[in-house]
Amino acid sequence: MGISVSVLVFTCISIIGVSGVFLITGLTGMFSLGQASFMAVGAYTSGLLVVRFGFPFPLAAVVGVGAGVLAGLVVGIPTVRLRRDYVALVTFGFGEAIIAILNNLTQITGGAMGLVGIPPVTTLPFVGISAMLSLFIVWNFKFSRFGRQCIAVRTDELAARSMGIHADGIKLLVFLLAAGFSAYAGVLYGFYTTYVDPGLFNWTRSAEWIIMVFFGGLGSVSGAVLSAILLGTLPEVLRFASEWRILLYCIIVLAIINYRPKGLLGEREIFLSFGKGLRKGGGKP
Amino acid sequence: MSEWVLEARHISKRFGGVQAVQDFSLHLPQGGIISIIGPNGAGKTTVFNLITGVYPLDSGEILLKGEQISGLPQHVITRKGIARTFQNIRLFLGLNVLENVLTALDPDGSYSFLDAVLQLPPKKRGERDSKSRGMELLRMVGLEPYAGEQPANLPYGLQRKLEIARALAAKPKVLLLDEPAAGLNPREVQDFIELVYRLHQDHSLSIILIEHRMQVVMEMSDWIYVMNFGKLLAEGLPTEVQKNPEVIKAYIGEEESC
Repeated sequence: MGISVSVLVFTCISIIGVSGVFLITGLTGMFSLGQASFMAVGAYTSGLLVVRFGFPFPLAAVVGVGAGVLAGLVVGIPTVRLRRDYVALVTFGFGEAIIAILNNLTQITGGAMGLVGIPPVTTLPFVGISAMLSLFIVWNFKFSRFGRQCIAVRTDELAARSMGIHADGIKLLVFLLAAGFSAYAGVLYGFYTTYVDPGLFNWTRSAEWIIMVFFGGLGSVSGAVLSAILLGTLPEVLRFASEWRILLYCIIVLAIINYRPKGLLGEREIFLSFGKGLRKGGGKP
Repeated sequence: MSEWVLEARHISKRFGGVQAVQDFSLHLPQGGIISIIGPNGAGKTTVFNLITGVYPLDSGEILLKGEQISGLPQHVITRKGIARTFQNIRLFLGLNVLENVLTALDPDGSYSFLDAVLQLPPKKRGERDSKSRGMELLRMVGLEPYAGEQPANLPYGLQRKLEIARALAAKPKVLLLDEPAAGLNPREVQDFIELVYRLHQDHSLSIILIEHRMQVVMEMSDWIYVMNFGKLLAEGLPTEVQKNPEVIKAYIGEEESC
Protein backbone atom coordinates (compact mmCIF):
# COMPACT_ATOMS: atom_id res chain seq x y z
CA MET A 1 0.00 0.00 0.00
CA GLY A 2 1.06 3.57 0.46
CA ILE A 3 0.40 6.24 -2.06
CA SER A 4 3.48 7.14 -4.04
CA VAL A 5 5.08 10.56 -4.09
CA SER A 6 4.11 11.11 -7.70
CA VAL A 7 0.42 10.73 -6.88
CA LEU A 8 0.78 13.40 -4.22
CA VAL A 9 2.63 15.69 -6.62
CA PHE A 10 -0.02 15.27 -9.29
CA THR A 11 -2.74 15.87 -6.71
CA CYS A 12 -1.11 19.12 -5.65
CA ILE A 13 -0.84 20.16 -9.29
CA SER A 14 -4.52 19.32 -9.69
CA ILE A 15 -5.35 21.48 -6.69
CA ILE A 16 -3.61 24.42 -8.33
CA GLY A 17 -5.49 23.90 -11.60
CA VAL A 18 -8.76 23.32 -9.80
CA SER A 19 -8.22 26.58 -7.88
CA GLY A 20 -8.46 28.40 -11.18
CA VAL A 21 -11.50 26.45 -12.34
CA PHE A 22 -13.15 27.11 -8.99
CA LEU A 23 -12.83 30.85 -9.63
CA ILE A 24 -14.21 30.62 -13.16
CA THR A 25 -16.92 28.02 -12.73
CA GLY A 26 -17.66 27.84 -9.04
CA LEU A 27 -17.56 31.52 -8.22
CA THR A 28 -18.40 33.27 -11.48
CA GLY A 29 -20.47 30.63 -13.28
CA MET A 30 -18.55 30.41 -16.55
CA PHE A 31 -17.44 27.14 -18.10
CA SER A 32 -13.96 26.94 -19.50
CA LEU A 33 -13.19 23.79 -21.45
CA GLY A 34 -9.84 25.23 -22.51
CA GLN A 35 -8.28 25.57 -19.09
CA ALA A 36 -5.74 22.80 -19.73
CA SER A 37 -4.44 24.68 -22.75
CA PHE A 38 -3.20 27.46 -20.45
CA MET A 39 -1.45 24.69 -18.58
CA ALA A 40 0.17 23.70 -21.88
CA VAL A 41 1.22 27.30 -22.52
CA GLY A 42 2.86 27.43 -19.10
CA ALA A 43 4.56 24.05 -19.43
CA TYR A 44 5.85 24.60 -22.96
CA THR A 45 6.96 28.20 -22.49
CA SER A 46 8.94 27.52 -19.34
CA GLY A 47 10.21 24.16 -20.62
CA LEU A 48 11.43 25.60 -23.92
CA LEU A 49 13.11 28.54 -22.24
CA VAL A 50 15.13 26.24 -20.04
CA VAL A 51 15.85 23.49 -22.58
CA ARG A 52 16.54 25.62 -25.64
CA PHE A 53 17.71 28.93 -24.21
CA GLY A 54 19.23 27.94 -20.90
CA PHE A 55 17.06 30.21 -18.77
CA PRO A 56 17.23 29.63 -15.00
CA PHE A 57 14.12 27.90 -13.68
CA PRO A 58 12.63 30.75 -11.60
CA LEU A 59 12.77 33.18 -14.51
CA ALA A 60 11.36 30.57 -16.91
CA ALA A 61 8.55 29.87 -14.45
CA VAL A 62 7.63 33.54 -14.21
CA VAL A 63 7.68 33.94 -17.99
CA GLY A 64 5.63 30.74 -18.35
CA VAL A 65 2.94 32.04 -16.01
CA GLY A 66 3.07 35.42 -17.76
CA ALA A 67 2.56 33.72 -21.12
CA GLY A 68 -0.42 31.83 -19.70
CA VAL A 69 -1.97 35.07 -18.44
CA LEU A 70 -1.34 36.68 -21.82
CA ALA A 71 -3.06 33.76 -23.55
CA GLY A 72 -5.89 34.21 -21.04
CA LEU A 73 -6.16 37.83 -22.09
CA VAL A 74 -6.34 36.91 -25.76
CA VAL A 75 -9.12 34.37 -25.15
CA GLY A 76 -10.79 36.29 -22.37
CA ILE A 77 -11.40 39.65 -24.02
CA PRO A 78 -13.75 38.33 -26.70
CA THR A 79 -15.12 35.55 -24.48
CA VAL A 80 -16.34 37.26 -21.33
CA ARG A 81 -18.99 39.20 -23.21
CA LEU A 82 -20.59 36.04 -24.51
CA ARG A 83 -23.46 34.14 -23.00
CA ARG A 84 -22.35 31.38 -20.67
CA ASP A 85 -22.94 28.43 -22.99
CA TYR A 86 -20.89 30.09 -25.69
CA VAL A 87 -18.03 30.63 -23.28
CA ALA A 88 -17.68 26.86 -23.04
CA LEU A 89 -17.62 26.52 -26.83
CA VAL A 90 -15.11 29.28 -27.45
CA THR A 91 -12.71 28.14 -24.74
CA PHE A 92 -13.02 24.59 -26.02
CA GLY A 93 -12.14 25.73 -29.54
CA PHE A 94 -9.25 27.79 -28.29
CA GLY A 95 -7.89 24.93 -26.23
CA GLU A 96 -7.95 22.49 -29.10
CA ALA A 97 -6.33 25.12 -31.34
CA ILE A 98 -3.43 25.46 -28.92
CA ILE A 99 -2.97 21.70 -28.94
CA ALA A 100 -2.99 21.70 -32.73
CA ILE A 101 -0.39 24.47 -32.83
CA LEU A 102 1.86 22.61 -30.42
CA ASN A 103 1.48 19.47 -32.51
CA ASN A 104 2.40 21.21 -35.73
CA LEU A 105 5.26 23.46 -34.66
CA THR A 106 7.47 20.42 -34.80
CA GLN A 107 10.79 22.29 -35.05
CA ILE A 108 10.15 24.21 -31.86
CA THR A 109 7.97 22.00 -29.69
CA GLY A 110 8.91 18.58 -30.91
CA GLY A 111 5.34 18.08 -32.16
CA ALA A 112 3.52 14.96 -31.11
CA MET A 113 6.83 13.46 -29.95
CA GLY A 114 6.74 15.95 -27.12
CA LEU A 115 9.32 18.12 -25.47
CA VAL A 116 12.01 16.13 -23.72
CA GLY A 117 14.88 16.93 -21.42
CA ILE A 118 13.22 19.36 -19.04
CA PRO A 119 15.26 19.27 -15.83
CA PRO A 120 13.46 17.81 -12.80
CA VAL A 121 13.10 20.77 -10.47
CA THR A 122 9.67 20.19 -8.92
CA THR A 123 9.73 18.44 -5.58
CA LEU A 124 6.90 17.42 -3.30
CA PRO A 125 7.49 20.18 -0.70
CA PHE A 126 7.70 22.71 -3.51
CA VAL A 127 4.34 21.74 -5.09
CA GLY A 128 2.84 21.39 -1.63
CA ILE A 129 3.72 24.95 -0.74
CA SER A 130 2.60 26.14 -4.18
CA ALA A 131 -0.78 24.47 -3.71
CA MET A 132 -1.18 26.03 -0.27
CA LEU A 133 -0.35 29.44 -1.69
CA SER A 134 -2.88 29.02 -4.49
CA LEU A 135 -5.55 28.13 -1.96
CA PHE A 136 -4.59 31.09 0.21
CA ILE A 137 -5.09 33.39 -2.78
CA VAL A 138 -8.36 31.80 -3.88
CA TRP A 139 -9.74 31.81 -0.36
CA ASN A 140 -8.90 35.49 0.15
CA PHE A 141 -10.34 36.31 -3.24
CA LYS A 142 -13.62 34.58 -2.47
CA PHE A 143 -14.05 36.46 0.80
CA SER A 144 -13.35 39.90 -0.60
CA ARG A 145 -15.20 42.55 -2.53
CA PHE A 146 -14.07 40.80 -5.70
CA GLY A 147 -15.44 37.42 -4.68
CA ARG A 148 -18.79 38.91 -3.75
CA GLN A 149 -19.05 40.61 -7.11
CA CYS A 150 -18.29 37.28 -8.81
CA ILE A 151 -21.06 35.54 -6.88
CA ALA A 152 -23.44 38.39 -7.72
CA VAL A 153 -22.59 38.02 -11.41
CA ARG A 154 -23.09 34.26 -11.21
CA THR A 155 -26.50 34.42 -9.55
CA ASP A 156 -27.99 37.32 -11.54
CA GLU A 157 -25.87 39.14 -14.04
CA LEU A 158 -28.49 41.75 -14.90
CA ALA A 159 -29.07 42.66 -11.27
CA ALA A 160 -25.31 42.72 -10.72
CA ARG A 161 -24.84 45.24 -13.50
CA SER A 162 -27.65 47.30 -12.01
CA MET A 163 -25.71 47.47 -8.76
CA GLY A 164 -22.83 49.10 -10.62
CA ILE A 165 -20.78 45.92 -11.00
CA HIS A 166 -18.61 45.90 -14.11
CA ALA A 167 -19.52 42.32 -14.97
CA ASP A 168 -17.26 41.97 -18.00
CA GLY A 169 -14.35 43.43 -16.09
CA ILE A 170 -14.75 41.12 -13.12
CA LYS A 171 -15.12 38.10 -15.43
CA LEU A 172 -11.94 39.04 -17.27
CA LEU A 173 -10.10 39.45 -13.97
CA VAL A 174 -11.16 35.96 -12.90
CA PHE A 175 -10.26 34.55 -16.28
CA LEU A 176 -6.74 35.97 -16.11
CA LEU A 177 -6.22 34.80 -12.57
CA ALA A 178 -7.37 31.30 -13.49
CA ALA A 179 -5.17 31.24 -16.59
CA GLY A 180 -2.26 32.14 -14.33
CA PHE A 181 -3.05 29.25 -11.98
CA SER A 182 -3.32 26.81 -14.87
CA ALA A 183 -0.07 27.99 -16.40
CA TYR A 184 1.68 27.61 -13.08
CA ALA A 185 0.29 24.10 -12.75
CA GLY A 186 1.75 23.45 -16.19
CA VAL A 187 5.17 24.74 -15.19
CA LEU A 188 5.23 22.46 -12.15
CA TYR A 189 4.02 19.54 -14.22
CA GLY A 190 6.67 19.90 -16.92
CA PHE A 191 9.46 20.26 -14.42
CA TYR A 192 8.29 17.18 -12.58
CA THR A 193 7.77 14.71 -15.39
CA THR A 194 10.67 16.23 -17.44
CA TYR A 195 8.59 15.51 -20.53
CA VAL A 196 5.44 17.05 -21.99
CA ASP A 197 3.45 16.33 -25.12
CA PRO A 198 0.39 18.13 -26.46
CA GLY A 199 -1.95 15.20 -25.76
CA LEU A 200 -1.57 15.75 -22.02
CA PHE A 201 -3.40 19.05 -22.14
CA ASN A 202 -6.54 18.42 -24.16
CA TRP A 203 -10.07 19.19 -23.09
CA THR A 204 -10.50 16.02 -21.03
CA ARG A 205 -8.18 17.49 -18.44
CA SER A 206 -10.20 20.72 -18.39
CA ALA A 207 -13.35 18.66 -18.01
CA GLU A 208 -11.78 16.66 -15.19
CA TRP A 209 -11.07 19.89 -13.30
CA ILE A 210 -14.65 21.04 -13.79
CA ILE A 211 -15.87 17.67 -12.50
CA MET A 212 -13.72 18.16 -9.41
CA VAL A 213 -15.26 21.58 -8.74
CA PHE A 214 -18.79 20.24 -9.11
CA PHE A 215 -18.00 17.13 -7.10
CA GLY A 216 -16.74 19.21 -4.20
CA GLY A 217 -19.60 21.71 -4.27
CA LEU A 218 -19.79 24.69 -6.55
CA GLY A 219 -19.32 27.49 -4.07
CA SER A 220 -16.83 25.81 -1.78
CA VAL A 221 -13.04 26.16 -1.92
CA SER A 222 -12.54 23.44 0.65
CA GLY A 223 -14.91 21.21 -1.32
CA ALA A 224 -12.78 21.70 -4.42
CA VAL A 225 -9.63 20.76 -2.49
CA LEU A 226 -11.29 17.75 -0.94
CA SER A 227 -12.49 16.46 -4.27
CA ALA A 228 -9.15 17.14 -5.97
CA ILE A 229 -7.55 14.94 -3.32
CA LEU A 230 -10.23 12.26 -3.44
CA LEU A 231 -10.56 12.09 -7.21
CA GLY A 232 -6.83 12.53 -7.70
CA THR A 233 -5.96 9.52 -5.60
CA LEU A 234 -9.02 7.46 -6.47
CA PRO A 235 -7.59 5.96 -9.68
CA GLU A 236 -4.57 4.80 -7.63
CA VAL A 237 -6.72 3.32 -4.91
CA LEU A 238 -8.74 1.54 -7.58
CA ARG A 239 -5.65 0.15 -9.26
CA PHE A 240 -6.58 -3.36 -8.09
CA ALA A 241 -9.47 -3.25 -10.56
CA SER A 242 -7.00 -2.76 -13.44
CA GLU A 243 -8.85 -1.72 -16.61
CA TRP A 244 -12.17 -1.47 -14.79
CA ARG A 245 -10.97 1.39 -12.64
CA ILE A 246 -12.08 4.17 -15.03
CA LEU A 247 -15.55 2.67 -15.01
CA LEU A 248 -15.53 2.49 -11.20
CA TYR A 249 -14.30 6.06 -11.04
CA CYS A 250 -17.24 7.19 -13.17
CA ILE A 251 -19.73 5.21 -11.12
CA ILE A 252 -18.44 6.73 -7.88
CA VAL A 253 -18.62 10.27 -9.29
CA LEU A 254 -22.12 9.71 -10.66
CA ALA A 255 -23.33 8.17 -7.42
CA ILE A 256 -22.09 11.08 -5.33
CA ILE A 257 -23.51 13.69 -7.69
CA ASN A 258 -26.79 11.79 -7.69
CA TYR A 259 -27.12 11.64 -3.92
CA ARG A 260 -25.57 15.03 -3.25
CA PRO A 261 -26.59 17.15 -6.22
CA LYS A 262 -24.84 20.19 -4.76
CA GLY A 263 -21.56 18.33 -4.40
CA LEU A 264 -19.83 17.10 -1.28
CA LEU A 265 -19.95 20.42 0.57
CA GLY A 266 -22.40 22.54 -1.44
CA GLU A 267 -21.72 26.17 -0.58
CA ARG A 268 -20.18 25.46 2.79
CA GLU A 269 -16.57 25.71 3.82
CA ILE A 270 -14.60 23.61 6.23
CA PHE A 271 -11.53 24.82 8.09
CA LEU A 272 -13.01 28.23 8.68
CA SER A 273 -10.21 29.15 11.06
CA PHE A 274 -7.92 29.32 8.04
CA GLY A 275 -7.06 33.01 7.83
CA LYS A 276 -8.64 35.63 10.06
CA GLY A 277 -11.76 37.69 10.06
CA LEU A 278 -13.53 35.43 7.59
CA ARG A 279 -17.19 34.77 7.57
CA LYS A 280 -19.01 31.61 6.84
CA GLY A 281 -19.94 30.94 3.25
CA GLY A 282 -23.50 30.31 4.42
CA GLY A 283 -26.03 28.19 2.62
CA LYS A 284 -27.83 25.03 3.51
CA PRO A 285 -27.14 21.67 1.91
CA MET B 1 -28.54 74.27 -16.24
CA SER B 2 -31.49 71.98 -16.02
CA GLU B 3 -34.10 71.96 -13.29
CA TRP B 4 -34.72 68.28 -13.95
CA VAL B 5 -32.54 65.70 -12.30
CA LEU B 6 -33.63 63.12 -14.85
CA GLU B 7 -35.18 63.70 -18.19
CA ALA B 8 -36.26 61.31 -20.95
CA ARG B 9 -36.89 62.93 -24.30
CA HIS B 10 -38.99 61.16 -26.89
CA ILE B 11 -37.62 57.71 -26.16
CA SER B 12 -38.72 54.73 -28.25
CA LYS B 13 -38.04 51.02 -28.20
CA ARG B 14 -39.27 48.27 -30.47
CA PHE B 15 -38.95 44.51 -29.83
CA GLY B 16 -39.54 42.77 -33.15
CA GLY B 17 -43.13 43.59 -34.03
CA VAL B 18 -43.99 45.14 -30.69
CA GLN B 19 -43.57 48.84 -30.16
CA ALA B 20 -42.88 48.60 -26.44
CA VAL B 21 -42.28 52.30 -25.88
CA GLN B 22 -43.13 55.03 -28.35
CA ASP B 23 -42.11 58.66 -28.17
CA PHE B 24 -42.30 58.77 -24.40
CA SER B 25 -40.97 61.69 -22.41
CA LEU B 26 -40.73 62.26 -18.69
CA HIS B 27 -39.29 64.84 -16.35
CA LEU B 28 -38.22 64.21 -12.80
CA PRO B 29 -37.63 67.34 -10.74
CA GLN B 30 -34.89 67.42 -8.10
CA GLY B 31 -36.31 65.85 -4.95
CA GLY B 32 -39.57 64.91 -6.62
CA ILE B 33 -41.54 61.67 -6.61
CA ILE B 34 -43.25 60.83 -9.88
CA SER B 35 -45.15 57.72 -10.88
CA ILE B 36 -45.68 55.78 -14.05
CA ILE B 37 -48.94 53.85 -14.09
CA GLY B 38 -50.76 51.90 -16.73
CA PRO B 39 -52.19 48.45 -17.47
CA ASN B 40 -49.93 45.41 -17.68
CA GLY B 41 -47.77 45.41 -20.76
CA ALA B 42 -48.01 49.16 -21.19
CA GLY B 43 -44.22 49.48 -21.29
CA LYS B 44 -43.55 50.83 -17.82
CA THR B 45 -40.78 48.42 -16.91
CA THR B 46 -39.29 48.86 -20.38
CA VAL B 47 -38.97 52.58 -19.60
CA PHE B 48 -36.96 51.63 -16.49
CA ASN B 49 -34.83 49.26 -18.52
CA LEU B 50 -34.15 52.00 -21.04
CA ILE B 51 -33.24 54.53 -18.36
CA THR B 52 -30.85 52.11 -16.65
CA GLY B 53 -29.26 50.97 -19.91
CA VAL B 54 -30.44 47.34 -19.95
CA TYR B 55 -31.56 47.90 -23.55
CA PRO B 56 -30.24 50.50 -25.98
CA LEU B 57 -32.68 53.16 -27.14
CA ASP B 58 -34.03 53.09 -30.69
CA SER B 59 -34.43 56.83 -30.59
CA GLY B 60 -34.62 59.70 -28.16
CA GLU B 61 -32.27 60.58 -25.34
CA ILE B 62 -31.97 60.38 -21.59
CA LEU B 63 -30.29 63.06 -19.52
CA LEU B 64 -29.11 62.87 -15.92
CA LYS B 65 -28.59 66.37 -14.56
CA GLY B 66 -28.33 67.61 -18.09
CA GLU B 67 -25.71 65.01 -19.04
CA GLN B 68 -26.47 62.54 -21.80
CA ILE B 69 -26.43 59.00 -20.37
CA SER B 70 -28.13 57.01 -23.12
CA GLY B 71 -25.75 54.52 -24.70
CA LEU B 72 -23.60 54.11 -21.61
CA PRO B 73 -23.13 50.62 -20.14
CA GLN B 74 -25.46 49.64 -17.32
CA HIS B 75 -22.89 49.71 -14.54
CA VAL B 76 -21.69 53.16 -15.55
CA ILE B 77 -25.22 54.55 -15.45
CA THR B 78 -25.67 53.07 -11.97
CA ARG B 79 -22.48 54.65 -10.77
CA LYS B 80 -23.53 58.00 -12.16
CA GLY B 81 -26.41 57.85 -9.72
CA ILE B 82 -29.39 55.82 -10.90
CA ALA B 83 -30.29 52.75 -8.84
CA ARG B 84 -33.30 50.52 -9.09
CA THR B 85 -35.29 47.69 -7.63
CA PHE B 86 -36.95 44.96 -9.64
CA GLN B 87 -40.55 43.98 -10.13
CA ASN B 88 -39.73 40.31 -9.68
CA ILE B 89 -37.30 40.55 -6.78
CA ARG B 90 -33.75 39.83 -7.95
CA LEU B 91 -31.58 39.30 -4.91
CA PHE B 92 -28.29 37.43 -5.03
CA LEU B 93 -29.20 34.05 -3.58
CA GLY B 94 -25.65 32.84 -3.04
CA LEU B 95 -25.02 35.71 -0.61
CA ASN B 96 -26.51 36.57 2.76
CA VAL B 97 -28.54 39.69 3.51
CA LEU B 98 -25.59 41.88 4.48
CA GLU B 99 -23.49 40.65 1.56
CA ASN B 100 -26.31 41.52 -0.83
CA VAL B 101 -26.04 45.12 0.29
CA LEU B 102 -22.26 44.99 0.14
CA THR B 103 -22.27 44.02 -3.54
CA ALA B 104 -23.51 47.49 -4.37
CA LEU B 105 -20.70 49.03 -2.31
CA ASP B 106 -18.05 46.67 -3.70
CA PRO B 107 -17.50 48.14 -7.17
CA ASP B 108 -16.40 51.30 -5.41
CA GLY B 109 -14.39 49.45 -2.78
CA SER B 110 -11.32 51.00 -1.25
CA TYR B 111 -8.81 48.17 -1.45
CA SER B 112 -6.98 46.72 -4.44
CA PHE B 113 -6.81 43.25 -5.92
CA LEU B 114 -3.43 42.60 -4.32
CA ASP B 115 -4.70 43.76 -0.93
CA ALA B 116 -7.55 41.29 -1.38
CA VAL B 117 -5.64 38.16 -2.32
CA LEU B 118 -2.71 38.73 0.01
CA GLN B 119 -4.93 39.71 2.93
CA LEU B 120 -3.16 43.04 3.49
CA PRO B 121 -4.26 45.64 6.06
CA PRO B 122 -6.16 47.89 3.60
CA LYS B 123 -8.50 44.96 2.97
CA LYS B 124 -9.30 44.55 6.63
CA ARG B 125 -10.00 48.25 6.93
CA GLY B 126 -12.03 48.37 3.73
CA GLU B 127 -14.11 45.36 4.71
CA ARG B 128 -14.78 46.80 8.14
CA ASP B 129 -15.89 50.12 6.69
CA SER B 130 -18.17 48.54 4.07
CA LYS B 131 -19.69 46.26 6.66
CA SER B 132 -20.52 49.07 9.03
CA ARG B 133 -21.97 51.05 6.12
CA GLY B 134 -23.95 47.98 5.06
CA MET B 135 -25.30 47.48 8.57
CA GLU B 136 -26.29 51.14 8.66
CA LEU B 137 -28.31 50.69 5.49
CA LEU B 138 -29.92 47.54 6.87
CA ARG B 139 -30.82 49.43 10.03
CA MET B 140 -32.48 52.11 7.94
CA VAL B 141 -34.89 49.60 6.42
CA GLY B 142 -35.24 47.60 9.61
CA LEU B 143 -33.34 44.51 8.45
CA GLU B 144 -30.44 44.65 10.87
CA PRO B 145 -31.46 41.53 12.80
CA TYR B 146 -31.44 39.50 9.60
CA ALA B 147 -27.93 40.45 8.42
CA GLY B 148 -26.64 36.87 8.42
CA GLU B 149 -29.76 35.26 6.95
CA GLN B 150 -30.12 33.94 3.44
CA PRO B 151 -32.41 36.28 1.51
CA ALA B 152 -34.56 33.36 0.33
CA ASN B 153 -35.57 32.74 3.96
CA LEU B 154 -37.00 36.24 4.41
CA PRO B 155 -40.68 37.00 3.94
CA TYR B 156 -41.62 38.81 0.78
CA GLY B 157 -42.01 42.24 2.35
CA LEU B 158 -38.53 42.10 3.84
CA GLN B 159 -37.03 40.96 0.55
CA ARG B 160 -38.48 44.10 -1.01
CA LYS B 161 -36.88 46.19 1.72
CA LEU B 162 -33.57 44.44 1.16
CA GLU B 163 -33.74 45.37 -2.51
CA ILE B 164 -34.22 48.98 -1.49
CA ALA B 165 -31.30 48.86 0.93
CA ARG B 166 -29.13 47.34 -1.78
CA ALA B 167 -30.16 50.03 -4.26
CA LEU B 168 -29.36 52.74 -1.70
CA ALA B 169 -25.88 51.28 -1.25
CA ALA B 170 -25.16 52.30 -4.83
CA LYS B 171 -25.48 55.94 -3.64
CA PRO B 172 -28.17 56.97 -6.07
CA LYS B 173 -29.43 60.44 -6.85
CA VAL B 174 -32.40 58.86 -8.58
CA LEU B 175 -34.13 55.75 -7.34
CA LEU B 176 -36.37 53.71 -9.61
CA LEU B 177 -38.86 51.50 -7.77
CA ASP B 178 -40.60 48.90 -9.90
CA GLU B 179 -43.84 47.84 -8.21
CA PRO B 180 -42.32 47.93 -4.75
CA ALA B 181 -45.64 47.39 -3.00
CA ALA B 182 -46.69 44.35 -5.04
CA GLY B 183 -47.51 41.41 -2.83
CA LEU B 184 -47.52 43.42 0.39
CA ASN B 185 -50.45 43.35 2.81
CA PRO B 186 -52.19 46.65 3.71
CA ARG B 187 -50.18 47.15 6.87
CA GLU B 188 -46.93 46.49 5.06
CA VAL B 189 -47.99 48.97 2.38
CA GLN B 190 -48.44 51.73 4.94
CA ASP B 191 -45.14 50.81 6.50
CA PHE B 192 -43.55 50.89 3.10
CA ILE B 193 -44.91 54.34 2.23
CA GLU B 194 -43.45 55.70 5.44
CA LEU B 195 -40.11 54.07 4.70
CA VAL B 196 -39.90 55.58 1.23
CA TYR B 197 -40.81 59.02 2.57
CA ARG B 198 -38.12 58.73 5.21
CA LEU B 199 -35.45 57.67 2.74
CA HIS B 200 -36.58 60.34 0.34
CA GLN B 201 -36.00 62.95 3.04
CA ASP B 202 -32.79 61.56 4.47
CA HIS B 203 -31.01 60.93 1.19
CA SER B 204 -32.47 63.84 -0.82
CA LEU B 205 -33.54 61.25 -3.36
CA SER B 206 -35.61 61.78 -6.43
CA ILE B 207 -37.86 58.82 -7.08
CA ILE B 208 -39.73 57.29 -9.98
CA LEU B 209 -42.33 54.77 -8.97
CA ILE B 210 -44.09 52.14 -11.04
CA GLU B 211 -47.05 50.93 -9.05
CA HIS B 212 -50.47 49.40 -9.40
CA ARG B 213 -51.71 50.21 -5.92
CA MET B 214 -53.64 53.42 -6.31
CA GLN B 215 -53.38 54.13 -2.61
CA VAL B 216 -49.60 54.33 -2.93
CA VAL B 217 -49.57 56.22 -6.20
CA MET B 218 -52.14 58.83 -5.20
CA GLU B 219 -50.62 59.44 -1.82
CA MET B 220 -47.01 59.71 -2.87
CA SER B 221 -46.78 61.16 -6.35
CA ASP B 222 -46.14 64.79 -7.22
CA TRP B 223 -46.91 63.99 -10.83
CA ILE B 224 -48.24 60.97 -12.66
CA TYR B 225 -47.60 59.63 -16.14
CA VAL B 226 -50.13 57.18 -17.52
CA MET B 227 -48.96 54.77 -20.20
CA ASN B 228 -50.94 52.51 -22.47
CA PHE B 229 -49.59 50.44 -25.36
CA GLY B 230 -46.17 52.06 -25.03
CA LYS B 231 -47.46 55.58 -25.39
CA LEU B 232 -48.22 58.40 -23.00
CA LEU B 233 -51.94 58.41 -22.41
CA ALA B 234 -52.13 61.25 -19.92
CA GLU B 235 -50.09 63.09 -17.34
CA GLY B 236 -50.90 65.38 -14.50
CA LEU B 237 -51.42 65.80 -10.80
CA PRO B 238 -52.87 62.76 -9.01
CA THR B 239 -56.26 64.42 -8.67
CA GLU B 240 -56.38 65.27 -12.38
CA VAL B 241 -55.32 61.84 -13.52
CA GLN B 242 -57.85 60.17 -11.29
CA LYS B 243 -60.68 61.93 -13.05
CA ASN B 244 -59.37 61.67 -16.58
CA PRO B 245 -61.89 59.65 -18.64
CA GLU B 246 -59.15 58.27 -20.91
CA VAL B 247 -57.35 56.85 -17.93
CA ILE B 248 -60.47 55.30 -16.49
CA LYS B 249 -61.18 53.76 -19.87
CA ALA B 250 -57.72 52.24 -20.14
CA TYR B 251 -57.89 50.81 -16.66
CA ILE B 252 -61.44 49.60 -16.43
CA GLY B 253 -62.18 49.13 -20.08
CA GLU B 254 -64.80 50.65 -22.30
CA GLU B 255 -68.40 49.77 -21.84
CA GLU B 256 -69.27 47.61 -24.77
CA SER B 257 -72.46 48.09 -26.65
CA CYS B 258 -74.13 44.88 -27.57
